[in-house]
Amino acid sequence: MDRPRFRIQLGLDRFSGLYLWAAFIVMFTAWTPLFFTSATLHSVASGQAVAGILTVGLLIPLVAGAFDLSVGATANVTAISVVQLQTLHHLGIAWSIVLSVALGALIGAVNGFLVVVFKINSFIATLAMGSVLAALLTIFTNNEQPSPPTDPAWSRLTQQSVGGFQIVFIYFLIIAVVVWWILEHTPAGRYMRVIGSNTEAARLSGVPVGRWVWISLICSGTIAGLAGIACSSLLGPSLTFGQALLLPAFAAAFLGSTQLTPGRFNVWGSVIAIYVLATGIQGFQFVTGVQWLSDMFNGVALIAAVAFAGWRYRAAGNRLRPRDWSQAIRHRSADAHDAPESGDLTAVSNGAPEVSQAEEK
Amino acid sequence: MSNQPSALVAANVSKSFGGTQALVDFSLTIAAGEVRALVGGNGSGKSTFIKILSGYHRPDSGAQVVVGGVTLSPGDPASSRRSGARFVHQDLGLVNDASVLDNLAVANGYPTMAGTVRGRASRAAASRTLDRVGLTIDPRIKVERLSAAEKTGVALARTLAGLSDGEVKLLVLDEPTATLPANEVRQVLRMVHAVAAQGVGVLYVTHRLDEIFELGASITVLRNGHRVLDGSSSDMTRHDLVRHLSGSELDDARDEADHTAKVREDLALEVSHLRSAQIDDVSFGVARGEVLGISGVTGSGREIIAGLIFGRERSTGGEVQVSGRRIRAGQPRESIRNGVAFLPADRKVESGLMDLTARENLTISSLREFWRPPLFRRRRERAEARAWFDRLGIQPAGGEELLFSKLSGGNQQKVLVAKWLRLRPGVLLLDEPTQGVDVAAKAEIHHQLLSAASTDAVAVVVTSSDIDELVAICHRVLVLRHGRVAAELAGEQITVAAVTKQTLVSDGSGQQILSEVL
Repeated sequence: MDRPRFRIQLGLDRFSGLYLWAAFIVMFTAWTPLFFTSATLHSVASGQAVAGILTVGLLIPLVAGAFDLSVGATANVTAISVVQLQTLHHLGIAWSIVLSVALGALIGAVNGFLVVVFKINSFIATLAMGSVLAALLTIFTNNEQPSPPTDPAWSRLTQQSVGGFQIVFIYFLIIAVVVWWILEHTPAGRYMRVIGSNTEAARLSGVPVGRWVWISLICSGTIAGLAGIACSSLLGPSLTFGQALLLPAFAAAFLGSTQLTPGRFNVWGSVIAIYVLATGIQGFQFVTGVQWLSDMFNGVALIAAVAFAGWRYRAAGNRLRPRDWSQAIRHRSADAHDAPESGDLTAVSNGAPEVSQAEEK
Repeated sequence: MSNQPSALVAANVSKSFGGTQALVDFSLTIAAGEVRALVGGNGSGKSTFIKILSGYHRPDSGAQVVVGGVTLSPGDPASSRRSGARFVHQDLGLVNDASVLDNLAVANGYPTMAGTVRGRASRAAASRTLDRVGLTIDPRIKVERLSAAEKTGVALARTLAGLSDGEVKLLVLDEPTATLPANEVRQVLRMVHAVAAQGVGVLYVTHRLDEIFELGASITVLRNGHRVLDGSSSDMTRHDLVRHLSGSELDDARDEADHTAKVREDLALEVSHLRSAQIDDVSFGVARGEVLGISGVTGSGREIIAGLIFGRERSTGGEVQVSGRRIRAGQPRESIRNGVAFLPADRKVESGLMDLTARENLTISSLREFWRPPLFRRRRERAEARAWFDRLGIQPAGGEELLFSKLSGGNQQKVLVAKWLRLRPGVLLLDEPTQGVDVAAKAEIHHQLLSAASTDAVAVVVTSSDIDELVAICHRVLVLRHGRVAAELAGEQITVAAVTKQTLVSDGSGQQILSEVL
């Protein structure tokens, strides 16, 4: 029997991100005088805000065991819609934003419908939805980047300076706090975690599984909508930025799940992950000036994060990660060898229940 | 055959899990061509022994296992396979929508020419293999079209496929007939003898008593990890067997059940004409304060009835009433709202949240009392979890914040029992509540169930394959057979012998013989 782990420890695993962050900062400060400046601080902070918003939104369905791969496309759609509502339909900024956020929520609701009612694996449903959204975007824009609204209030919305930081960074922090509150301090967050941990156990404990998975996807759609609007105001209505942010967002979410509370997707771990990656990328960029760094960094980080999480879990003496992503799309095999049996306290059942949702009405 | 080495010589095999000894200094010898029945109740250690033979478990040091003259390296499945040990598990592991031929060839390959399967040669080879177990079926038909006994035969044949006589030394069958009707059991037994006649030692694990005598085999009985009986079926009566299968460990629970029984008049749960795929018209009622046991072999409906009442899956007919109110089928949430709680048998798959903390597992059944928007009262939740840990003696004390997967099986199960007791249910359904649980935790869980019944007037329904357990804690026992209630025992009638007899007898003829003996 393990003792409770109340030993004083450096937390080399839980806080490895923070250590790495500190190492980056020391290293690059020594390496180049360009690095340790307030300009770098401000540009890294707000430069990651949009990706950060997307990441914390993504966390909500991930906690509930569902993927939302359409967040990039959703952000793209709202980035364009919020501009077109202003320029083509002459709506005010406020209304354009409200309608675009609602559009993001609607996309999330459709995702939820596909996953919960049609019982399509969330991975597949949202991947396909991303493709459909990309097609719709081409239809509505004729594949031409619309020109941004001329109203200076529109760009001030995210670029206003607050203590040196662009205000979009503050938005990111606010959204992160809200998502953290939902995930860690409400029954909703607990229900989603339970569903993500064991769908069947959740259902048999009286948790309305379908409802919460649906809500989680609406949340990620809504927040992706916000990310799109922010990006549109910050950088202009690009047709492509969203897809480029999808992988970094997933990398940060998974890397974040190895931090602070290892094994759990969590907001502040992900925030740390985002900024550790960004600091490293920024630093190496100063030093080398090459273009491929960020793709390489994010890709390697995603692989390393998932591999590390799995290794950590197995090292802890468990044969299978309860939520093994590779098993999630496979069916449980019925091997009598692994059937739990009396007198055998280590019998391990095969794999996790599927991620696809059993809905109850 | 005397010049052949023994099929199996196992000596001093022990295995402990944590603090629990699943198998204690067990020895077993099987000669080539011998059929040996290994009998034991739940948790007796028989499956642990099989898993040691297959290399899945590593025995405690000092054990020696020799198969066909080759000493196994412990915990190494490849070594077990090389030595000539083969296993047929209860679920057979056949691919149902593939042909018999493909099922046989999957393990051992097809005869090929230039990488192309030679159809006729494959079929001929398959037929020869089927011959060896005495099966004459066309290897081209799909497995799903076979009878249950024929499927078992294919699984047997598969262990021999591609190997000449004498290469397979030991064949282990793990409850091959658990779900078979009586007439098909005989066919399986014939096939087992056909294989043994080729010089293969057969270890036949079962808990059906009537077939042991038909098998005409030597018998080894395990109980709580100890060998309690070893002999030939011709030298012993069923009575001996039943006596040896049951023990006296649960006398305390029996005492408590007898002395605290306070069965009320009114029914908390009424099940009428319930039907589903495996349940064929079951009706019964449970009074408040009563502990009702449901026995039955695997396949009798025992393992699904509790879930069906709760709404884990939808019934196809009949109804469930709780305190006079009808509950819609297949609705766990509605059942819970009406005061019905259900603890499934499979912790890892159906009830445990392995990567969450013990506290989160315990409180998930209701979070309302901790939620004062906009704040979740974590401290109050922790206090409640700690109180339940104390009340059920869950170890380690103060382990509420540990991951659930870090607790031992017994403590996990106690957490899950507490999770439902917290809701103060009117009806508590439990499927195999003490499966894979150590003796101390078992006693604690039994005590909790009995005290819930007597002091809180909960109607408790326990479905269990552990007859000792049912006899220890139940005021009344129903026996299911083929999805129907075949017998009902109450009060003094509930003895291990009587419940065993009603549970294990599979057809009328067996019952006659048995009733003479018992």
